Amino acid sequence: MRHRLPELGSLLAVAVLLSVLPFTLSDYNISLVAQVGIFFVAVLGLNILTGYTGQISIGHGAFMAIGGYTTAVMSRDHDTNLVVTMLMAFAICFVVGLLVGLPALRLSGVYLALATFALAVSVPQLPLKWSKFLGGSGGVQSHRTVTHLWLYGAAWIASAILFALAWLILRGRIGRAFRAARDSEIAAVASGIELPIYKTLAFGISAAYAGVAGALFVMGTNGFAQPSEFGVFLSLQLLVGAAVAGLGSLWGILAGAAFVGLLPTVSGSVPVIGSAHGRNVVFGAAVILVMLLLPEGFAGLLTRLRRLARA
Amino acid sequence: MPVNRRKLGALLCALLATAAVASTAAASHRSTPGVTSKKVVIGGTFPLSEGPATGGASLYKTIPFAEQAYYAYVNAHGGVHHRKIDDIVLDDQYTPSETVQQTTKLVEQDHVFADVGSLGTAPNLSTWGYLNKHKVPQVLLATGDAYWGNCVHHACQGSTKPWTLGWQPDYPGEAKLYAKYILAHNKNAKIGVLYQNDAYGKNYLAGLKTGLGSHKNLIVDAEAYNAGDSAQVVGAHVFALKTHGADTFVIFATPGASIAALATLPAIGWSPVTLLNNVSANRIFMGLAAKNGAKLDGVISTTYVESQTVQANLPGMKLAKKIIHTYAPNLDQQFAAGDQNLVYGLAVGWTFVDALKHAGKNPTRKSLMHALRNMNEKNNPFIYPGMVVKTSKKRTFPMEQLIFIKWSGGNSGDWHHFGKVLNSGH
Repeated sequence: MRHRLPELGSLLAVAVLLSVLPFTLSDYNISLVAQVGIFFVAVLGLNILTGYTGQISIGHGAFMAIGGYTTAVMSRDHDTNLVVTMLMAFAICFVVGLLVGLPALRLSGVYLALATFALAVSVPQLPLKWSKFLGGSGGVQSHRTVTHLWLYGAAWIASAILFALAWLILRGRIGRAFRAARDSEIAAVASGIELPIYKTLAFGISAAYAGVAGALFVMGTNGFAQPSEFGVFLSLQLLVGAAVAGLGSLWGILAGAAFVGLLPTVSGSVPVIGSAHGRNVVFGAAVILVMLLLPEGFAGLLTRLRRLARA
Repeated sequence: MPVNRRKLGALLCALLATAAVASTAAASHRSTPGVTSKKVVIGGTFPLSEGPATGGASLYKTIPFAEQAYYAYVNAHGGVHHRKIDDIVLDDQYTPSETVQQTTKLVEQDHVFADVGSLGTAPNLSTWGYLNKHKVPQVLLATGDAYWGNCVHHACQGSTKPWTLGWQPDYPGEAKLYAKYILAHNKNAKIGVLYQNDAYGKNYLAGLKTGLGSHKNLIVDAEAYNAGDSAQVVGAHVFALKTHGADTFVIFATPGASIAALATLPAIGWSPVTLLNNVSANRIFMGLAAKNGAKLDGVISTTYVESQTVQANLPGMKLAKKIIHTYAPNLDQQFAAGDQNLVYGLAVGWTFVDALKHAGKNPTRKSLMHALRNMNEKNNPFIYPGMVVKTSKKRTFPMEQLIFIKWSGGNSGDWHHFGKVLNSGH
């Protein structure tokens, strides 16, 4: 247990910081940090899949869409408590994730990435198909809206719970199976690991996390779920977040979430001469820069720093 | 170990104390946000760049620049009650989640007095509840949906929305006029409608049906496209209308799709009577359609602002030209080419300044709303002569008049007004 102390210490520090922050920040900045919390959940989920089992997904925006629409529709039609809708988003996306994970068993690497890409493209089309139920391109407006502080609390409490859950899952038997599947499928099978079960399970858990993030995301847009919000770009953002955080480690996720949660907003005020697309340029440049300097993401940086400290 | 715990406790106490001091400091100066003795800070959100699925929304981006030019002109002439107007324009890419973020920033970071002129139905819907809850004026919106006027006294989505006000004539009212036009000219018309598959397009379609009344069955086909659909998809819908035997083509679209639709007509050898909604009838957009192969002569639409190209001699248009030239010279060419959104922006700026003048020497958000709800503008120099911008307790749509226009003069031609100023109201 002794070697875990620095990790526990930093966790505690982050927790204390996050619980004190709302008292010092302006309402607007609270909403920004809440945004980071939402991406924390999503990036965490994607990291379980991509980082720990080595299955690349460019389709997690689709699971966020499903989670988000779950919240919006339940709130619109039944005025359901928003926390309950988050749990439902978790459950529904878990099931959908398992179902998506089944065909994914036959695919790997680039082919799996392409299949999930198809998911990212097609799911936002569903509201257009069933526009009575899902509001068409105009979107669904949920019945309740929340304050920034409420969203902040919900996002970070969800983050804490899901982080603890991820840690528990990954440190034990399941986590070992995940990593084994990632490192060598043949070796994993040879050691008696049922690959199909663990690979679909990873998909389910990961999708469920994205669902919760989607539910929070919709609460963050004043309860407005709209198909164009959940396009391919969102999925790419999540993947960027996971890469910046560092795949296969839980310790850089905060940095990855802050990167994708804050950068588009912050860089919106950076003027790039002669272009209305300054924001996208800055975002792209930052991604390249971070990947050049930190090929293993922030988690890699932390490991390096620790090695330096020990040496 | 106990020492550490005590240290941690002390640290926490210190942090909490700082927080408490910070929050009381923030609460101590509570005057009207955005208003100082020298300035009134307002803001708005617009699609300055293209989002992932916005289909040409950034074609509207000249609107906020014209508004800023008008405020610069007013500021140079002494401002309003000696205050200068500072207009913060933020890019939301026509995407609701961005609108929410940018609007939150305007309200809570920049402390704007009011959200003025923000563009788009879905973007404004996404901040509708928030702004009303915080009693921030959300006014003179660049969208003609009926929500903005219908929910002042009646609850929509759970509450009334007294802090929201539109400006331009509402879409259903405009569509009703097209229905009347069709009935007056061809009682046996076979109408084919192309509409955007969202609240915007459906509002228009509903208005057309109401206008047709018992002649609703004249609509032989209504084709819905989705915002962001490619030109090919839009073209396929247009072709479907032709195959249904329509001889009158009604377009309720945003610029990207309307340009594609107009360009499709000659390509499929169809030359129906064409009616185009006002939002897509900007001369600039027509030019783009012509470049893509459209034949523009005879297309019919409506307008409510003056035209800088065919009414260049009106005092309003001379003033418009001067303001753009002085305060936004990089838009001179755009103005000369007939970008009606520039005139639109100037007209909205005029209305805001007018309301701000009437909101008193020390305006509050409440007094601004009061002024906006009791407008009677007969002399807005940028809107079509004879039209009024008027509100009252009962009248919640500021503009309810339109005039028909028809394109002539070939592809380098222009819109020409015909007929009288018509009432598009309820």
